[in-house]
Amino acid sequence: MASATGTPPGVSLPPPITERGGVGWAYANLFGNWYNTVLTFLYAAFLVLAFWFGLRWIALEADWQVIATLGGRLIIGQYNTEFACPGQNCFWRPQVSLLLVSVLLGMVWAVSRDTAAKRIAIGVAAVTVAFAFLPYSMDRMGLDVRLLLAANLPAVAAGRVLARYTPLGTVRWIAILGVLVFLVILVLVRGLPGIPGLQPVSTTYWGGLMLNLLLAVTGITLSLPIGIALALGRRSSLPLVKLLCVVFIEIMRGMPLITLLFMSQVLVPLAFPQDFSSNSLFRAGVILTLFSSAYMAENIRGGLQALHPGQVEAARALGLAGWQTTLLISLPQAIRNVIPAIVGQFISLFKDTLLVYIIGMLDVVEFSRAFIQGNAEYLASARELFLFLALVFWIFTYTMSYVSRRVEQHLRVGQR
Amino acid sequence: MVRVEAGKASEYHTDFVDAFKEAGTSRSLSDMAASESTVDTSDMIVCRDVHKWYGNFHALRGVTTSVREREVVVVVGPSGSGKSTFIRTINRLEEHQRGDIIVDGIELSNDVRNIDAIRRDVGMVFQSFNLFPHLTAMDNITLAPMKVRKLPARQAEEIAEQLLERVGIAEQADKYPGQLSGGQQQRVAIARALAMQPKIMLFDEPTSALDPEMIKEVLDVMRELAVSGMTMIVVSHEIGFTREVADRVLMFDHGQIIEESATEEFFDNPKEDRTKLFLSQILA
Repeated sequence: MASATGTPPGVSLPPPITERGGVGWAYANLFGNWYNTVLTFLYAAFLVLAFWFGLRWIALEADWQVIATLGGRLIIGQYNTEFACPGQNCFWRPQVSLLLVSVLLGMVWAVSRDTAAKRIAIGVAAVTVAFAFLPYSMDRMGLDVRLLLAANLPAVAAGRVLARYTPLGTVRWIAILGVLVFLVILVLVRGLPGIPGLQPVSTTYWGGLMLNLLLAVTGITLSLPIGIALALGRRSSLPLVKLLCVVFIEIMRGMPLITLLFMSQVLVPLAFPQDFSSNSLFRAGVILTLFSSAYMAENIRGGLQALHPGQVEAARALGLAGWQTTLLISLPQAIRNVIPAIVGQFISLFKDTLLVYIIGMLDVVEFSRAFIQGNAEYLASARELFLFLALVFWIFTYTMSYVSRRVEQHLRVGQR
Repeated sequence: MVRVEAGKASEYHTDFVDAFKEAGTSRSLSDMAASESTVDTSDMIVCRDVHKWYGNFHALRGVTTSVREREVVVVVGPSGSGKSTFIRTINRLEEHQRGDIIVDGIELSNDVRNIDAIRRDVGMVFQSFNLFPHLTAMDNITLAPMKVRKLPARQAEEIAEQLLERVGIAEQADKYPGQLSGGQQQRVAIARALAMQPKIMLFDEPTSALDPEMIKEVLDVMRELAVSGMTMIVVSHEIGFTREVADRVLMFDHGQIIEESATEEFFDNPKEDRTKLFLSQILA
C-alpha cells in the first residue's frame, strides 16, 4: 500500500481499515465477499432459532421440579438417610466441611494477586447462599440447614480477615491449613465412634457430588507428587528404578480405568491391610490416584524432555548438586511448560470419578440415575436432571481451566 | 587506555573480594586438596594425555597442556576439532576416559566431592548463555552462592549488585532473561559465574550467538576480567580480542593440540600448515 516514494523516515502510517475498530473487522471477516455474507446470515439465523427454542424449552417446557426435589441429595447422596445416619440429622457435617472450604477460599482470595481467586470465592459464597433460599422438599432440611448454607458468605469473609490480619496469611500456611482442613473434613464426614453427634457413617453411604469432589481432590493432590516421582524415576540412571517406573506407568496407562476398578478388589488387598482394602471408597481413591499418576508422570516427563540440556549443564557448572538442579532448575521449568497438560489430566480425573459406580458407589450421576429409575413419576424429568448435572460438571471443569490459564499468564511474565 | 581500565577493574575486584571476606567464606579448595598429589603451584590446570570418546568417535586424542595462574589462554580451531569438548572436560561436563586432569591441585576423578569442589572454583560461560529463564537476573546470580556456598540472602544480593554494576547492567536486576538482549544475557551469565568467586573462568564461544553490535559489550567485560588477573580459557575466534588479551593460543585439530605458542608468535609466525590455512581463512 506504500506509495511509490515510500514513507518519510520516522513517520508511522496508520494501519489499514481492516485493522481498526468493529466496522473494519466486521467488513473483513463477515461480509468480505458474497459467500461470506450468505454464511453470516445463515449462521445468524441458526443462532437466533437455537436460542429461541432453547430458551423457550428451559423457561416454559422443562420441568425443573426434579432438581428441587433431590436438592441436597445431589450433594451428599444417601449420607443423611435413616439407614446411614439413624436417629440424627447428619447433614450439618458436610455443610460444616463446606464452610471450612469457604474459609480457605477467603484466605486464598486475600493472598492471591489475581482476580480469579476473588471470583471463585465470591461465586461459591453466592451459589451456596442462593441455595439457602431454594424450596427443598425431600430431606429433613429445616432452618439449621439453610442457616449453615447462608453462613458460607461470612465464612469467606472470615477467611479473608484471618489471612489479612494474622500471620496465617502466607501461601505456606494456607497450604498447611489446606491439608489440615482436608483431614478434618474426612474425620467429620466419617465420624468418630463414641462422640455424640459424630456417630460414624459408613463410607458405603457416602455419595453425591461430595463423593466426586473428595475423590477428585485426593487424586489431584496425590497424583501430582507421585507423577513427578515416577517421571524422575523413569529418567533415572539406576536401571532398577527406571525399570520399575516404566513397568508401573505402562501397565497403568495400558489398562482401562474400568478394568482397574473391577480388579481393585483383587489388587488393592495385595498392598494394603484388610481394614482399608475392604473399603470401596479407599480402593476407588487408590486406583484413581495411581491411574492418574501414570498419565501425570508422562506429562511431566514431556516437560523435562523439552528442557534445553544447557539448563542442567549451567546448574551443574555452578556447583549445584543433582537434586538441587532437579528441584530448583528442571522441575519448575518443566512443570510450567506442561501446565495445560497437567490441568487437562486434573479435569479428566474429575470426570473419571463418575466411574466409581462400577464398584457400587453412588456418585452424583449414578445416584440420579437410580433415583429416576426408582421413581417412575420422575422418568420424564431425566433430561432436565442430567442437563443440570452436565452444567454442574462444566462449571467445575471450566473453573479449573480458567485458573490454569490465569496461572499460566502469571508464570509467563518473564518469558515473553 | 587499557591501563586505566585495569586500575578500575582491580578496584572492583578488591571490593568484591572484601565482600566475600565479610561473608566469612574463605576459599579453602587448596586446603581440601592438601592430601592430593602436589603439583607445581603456579599451574592452575594440568592436562596429561587426555582422551575422550563419544561412542566410537575419538573426540580428544591425547591432549597435554597446562595453564598457569592469571594466564589467559585462547583456544582456536575448526568446528568439530574438540575445543569445546576440551574445556568441558575441565569442569567435568564431559567425562574423559583416559589421562589426568588436575585443577588447582585436585585431580578430576569419579569422586563426586572432587567434582563438586572443582565446579565451585571453575566458572563457565556458554555460547547459548543458559540463563535460567524462570528466574530474574538477580536470582540467577544469587542462586548458586546461596544454595552452594550457603551465603545469607542479603550477602548474596550485595555481591550480585556489585557484579551487575561491574558488567554494566545494574538497572536490569529485576528483569527476566527473556526481557534482556543477547549481550545483556551473556553479561548476566558472566556475573552469575563470577558470583561463585571462581579461580578459573571457562568461556565456550561466548560471543558466537550474539549480534555484531553486542559482541563488543561482552568482550569489554571479558577484557576487564582478564586484566584483573583471572585465569581464563576462552574458546573464541575473536582475533582482535585474542591478540589483545591472550597470553597463549592453542590450535586444535582432530582432537589434538597441533600448535601451542605465545600470542604474537602464533599470529605472526605460525609453524603448522594447518594453522596457516586456518588463520588465512578467519583473517580473510
